[in-house]
Amino acid sequence: MTATRTRRRALGDLLIQSLVIAAFLLAWEMTARARVINPFLLPALSDVLMRIGKDLGSGIAIVDLSLTLYRALSGFAIAAAIGIPLGILMARWSLVRWFFDPLISAGFPMPKIAFLPIFVLWFGLFDTSKIIMVAFSSIFPVVSAAYAGTQGVDKWPLWSARALGAKERELLWEVILPLALPQILTGLQIALPVALITTVVTEMLMSGKGIGGTMMNAGRFADSVGVFAGIVEIAVVGILVIRGVEALRRRLLVWHAETRADA
Amino acid sequence: MATLFRYLPILVVLALWEAATRYGLVSKLMVPDLASVGAAFWQLLTSGELVFNAGRSLGRAFIGLAAATAFGIVAGLLMATIRPVRLLVNPLVQAFYPMPKSALIPVVMVWFGLGDLSKIVLIFLGCILPVVVSTYNGARGVDHVLVWSAASLGASRRAILTEVVLPAAMPEIFNGMRTALAFSFILMVSSEFILAKDGIGYLIATLGDGGAYAAMFACILTVAGVGFGADRLFGLLIRRTLRWREP
Amino acid sequence: MEPTVGIDVRNVSHAYGARNGRGVVALQGINLSIRPNEFHALLGPSGCGKSTLLYLIGGFVPVQTGTIATARGRVSAPSPERGIVFQNFALFPWKTVRENVLYGLEKLKLDREERERRAREFIELVHLTGFEDAYPSQLSGGMQQRTAIARTLAVDPEVLLMDEPFGALDAQTRRVMQEELRAIWQRKQKTVVFVTHDVHEAVFLAERISIMSARPGRIEHVIDVGFDRNAGEEVMKTREFVELSEHIWDLVRQQAIAATRGAL
Repeated sequence: MTATRTRRRALGDLLIQSLVIAAFLLAWEMTARARVINPFLLPALSDVLMRIGKDLGSGIAIVDLSLTLYRALSGFAIAAAIGIPLGILMARWSLVRWFFDPLISAGFPMPKIAFLPIFVLWFGLFDTSKIIMVAFSSIFPVVSAAYAGTQGVDKWPLWSARALGAKERELLWEVILPLALPQILTGLQIALPVALITTVVTEMLMSGKGIGGTMMNAGRFADSVGVFAGIVEIAVVGILVIRGVEALRRRLLVWHAETRADA
Repeated sequence: MATLFRYLPILVVLALWEAATRYGLVSKLMVPDLASVGAAFWQLLTSGELVFNAGRSLGRAFIGLAAATAFGIVAGLLMATIRPVRLLVNPLVQAFYPMPKSALIPVVMVWFGLGDLSKIVLIFLGCILPVVVSTYNGARGVDHVLVWSAASLGASRRAILTEVVLPAAMPEIFNGMRTALAFSFILMVSSEFILAKDGIGYLIATLGDGGAYAAMFACILTVAGVGFGADRLFGLLIRRTLRWREP
Repeated sequence: MEPTVGIDVRNVSHAYGARNGRGVVALQGINLSIRPNEFHALLGPSGCGKSTLLYLIGGFVPVQTGTIATARGRVSAPSPERGIVFQNFALFPWKTVRENVLYGLEKLKLDREERERRAREFIELVHLTGFEDAYPSQLSGGMQQRTAIARTLAVDPEVLLMDEPFGALDAQTRRVMQEELRAIWQRKQKTVVFVTHDVHEAVFLAERISIMSARPGRIEHVIDVGFDRNAGEEVMKTREFVELSEHIWDLVRQQAIAATRGAL
């Protein structure tokens, strides 16, 4: 297919997608307006949007959003700072691998949120315990990806570099890491939404401020508009974060075949 | 034997834990020693409290997961084969996929209160998307020569869907189900921390509030272990069912 | 056994892409008459549409312009009257050899004994007795292709369509399969349409060869191959065979060159 035709097809799909979503939103608004369902259970979209606008204006939403993002990104940063080196070490040192491999693979399917009460016991009721919870949840995909990425590096570039006189430390930074980067980034891309979700859930479980806490409060006070406002905010933040990360990945991997394949 | 060696580090961790508490490296209040945790576990087990609550939790999770799997596979297959369905449903799936389903906890609380239904609905909603997406992708990815071969052997459209597309998509569907399984545990625990009157999450929260930390640890480790075990069991199930793949 | 049918292709054109036909023209003005029981090869460079023509005859792709008909009527959908064998075998990987062969038989509403008997018969025909309970992933390429052939033949189609069936096999296996296919065709009455890009294979197996051009796909020459139906593989060494092969190879080469030139 020619390039223009592919672009036209993509645009056509986008149009249909937008139409369907618009229709869905319209249906939501109409059903709520017509009082078909109890407005308590399904508040009108317009009311929800107005609430979001109001909260943004009064600054409440900004506070909540910044708090949630702060916690999520801190936890994520810790997970990355510990997880990436750990994964790399696992790939290079068999003792490290032997010790951590079962812990990581056993930890993956576990509902890590179950450990929250332990973190609260150890670190108190404020931000620290939340951030540690987030880090704990997010670290698994990071370690796994860093391990796989470093492990899977082709030996040919390594051997060439060695033959050209590179020392072990140079080898690590200049050959292995760049080659493992795509997979490491994938791990980070998976970990970021995990960090966000974990933050929101943790906030719900522990109340206080932040999107999760505010939503939970709204729920307790039967403020369904507030609850739905929270959902919309989370959805929007989620999409923005994911798209942002994708763009960042393309920028960082400009040299890689996968980016050039799209161009 | 090899499996034992593989999981040895976990024993090492347990040994370190025991050493840390015994030699006063950490306060026994914060980190109950292994013995107390073990004793509390035994107590909970024999009193029936653990089994009762775990049973309620797993029961709800199972219902939600089973419903999500059934609806998800059907929806995924319909999306893959009928164009209007795909055009209608796909954008909605794409829009809702990145949204964390845990965010729906307050919503189901508003809709269904604190009873069983709210948790079942939550798990259903959280688990249905991975199944739909993986079924859709699996069905779309079926090699068309398989479909054509079946057609030329006399299969009707319906037969092709159930006898060729579905089995061919099973590996991918199983992956989606495995993800859904993990989600169900997460949603089960988190929803029970907040909106429950029974269940293992509720038990953990109650024990924590009451200061019975050893028992709390015991429950947390139990649920983590069950989550791990469920995943491994499912993995075994997948391997047995798909033994036609690689000899 | 009923006499089998021929295939009548009249003025068939086919284009991919835009619905109003402004896409890539795969086939143009194809006219072909295949006699009942004939072994007919479609030969040509890649991109000449030979596979497309095969799929149209099979009813897997709807005909856009022109008609394709057999004695049973126009072709509009796949049917057990026209069986197909693909290059990548297209076996159901979750079914054993026996289950694969039984698949079409189950659709024929025969009783259990008859189904099992026929499955056994065709598995034996392709020399796979003993492997009935193996999965495709446990079989070699040649064995998988035999299973595919058994599966297709089991429903007794009148027409057998083959899309470069031996292309994925190594040279030795390919030779063996060609001979076996010849033997099967001699025993069973079938019209065969065989797509290939291998000249020797076409000359060995076929009674008539359509040489196709590419971009757009057209039938440029139809050659009669006169070799004895019962000839074994030694015929490949005879002078007539070699000369005919070279002649046909020249024709095909011309089409391939013309196609590349057209693409530049």
